[in-house]
Amino acid sequence: MANERLRALEEVEKEIATILQCAGNIVLELSKDKHNASLLDRQLVQFQGSVNRVESELSGQIRYLTQVATGQPHEGSTYSARKDCQMALNRAEYAKVKLGELGRTCEVMLEQQQQQQQQQPPLT
Amino acid sequence: MATQRVLPQSKESLLQNYNKRLKDDIRSILDNLTEIIKTAKIEDETQVARATQAEQDHYEMHVRAANIVRAGESLMKLVSDLKQFLILNDFPSVNDAISLQNQQLRSLQEECDKKLTSLRDEIAIDLYELEEEYYSSSYSQWDSTDLPLYEAYRRRDSWASPGSSCSSTQGDREDVEGPPSQETNPQHHLNGHGTSSIEKL
Repeated sequence: MANERLRALEEVEKEIATILQCAGNIVLELSKDKHNASLLDRQLVQFQGSVNRVESELSGQIRYLTQVATGQPHEGSTYSARKDCQMALNRAEYAKVKLGELGRTCEVMLEQQQQQQQQQPPLT
Repeated sequence: MATQRVLPQSKESLLQNYNKRLKDDIRSILDNLTEIIKTAKIEDETQVARATQAEQDHYEMHVRAANIVRAGESLMKLVSDLKQFLILNDFPSVNDAISLQNQQLRSLQEECDKKLTSLRDEIAIDLYELEEEYYSSSYSQWDSTDLPLYEAYRRRDSWASPGSSCSSTQGDREDVEGPPSQETNPQHHLNGHGTSSIEKL
């Protein structure tokens, strides 16, 4: 839900850029000797549409905030769940370390056993 | 209470300020563009010389264009302020975000613990077999007070069902040395290496 509102505000920013772009194109077209009427109309319609969309969207956001905002700070946190998860990952890491040590110990013993077998003279 | 009365007023005044800025900026953009288009119209009769009028119109258009750009930047600043206000004060979405994050963290923790538990069970099974092999071989050196894991489990099974396992336990008792008092004690002193490593996990 929060992401949708923030995404809507980012769309509003793009619309504001469109407004300025359209205004610049209109002035540029008016500066020419021969105006392209259809281009002027299109740019003007786009300009008006963008202005209306920006105004309605921002008014809606401000209205929503008027209903929802309390002025108090939010005191929720994810600290406990994050700590529990961190402890679980530490447990897994510890188990991994211990199993690694066990594996290395087994390998060392196997190597020693093989060396002993090689050193023993073959039975005739 | 006095402090609580102050905070809503600041929130109200802040939101009213946002509204005012929005209306002013939109009005500024519309008015300035309208005036630019009006100024672009060439009139045959002017009060001053044509060159002077042209210079005046040129300067006016510059200023109005700068006003449009300023109003656009002010709108962008307003959007930025609204985003910040939304992140800090939109409690429903903040609650949703917190609960979603908690849910994800808890599911990760449960999955981690479930895998560790299954790993522990597998290692316990392997340890059982390894101890059985070790203590039945000639390399083991254990005293009568210690019982290997497999022997403890076997004796516990025999207590649970004495009829079925009676013959097997008798055969084992011939091989295993131990005082009779240990048979009555259900909790045997198991091999320290076997249990402590499991319990530590």
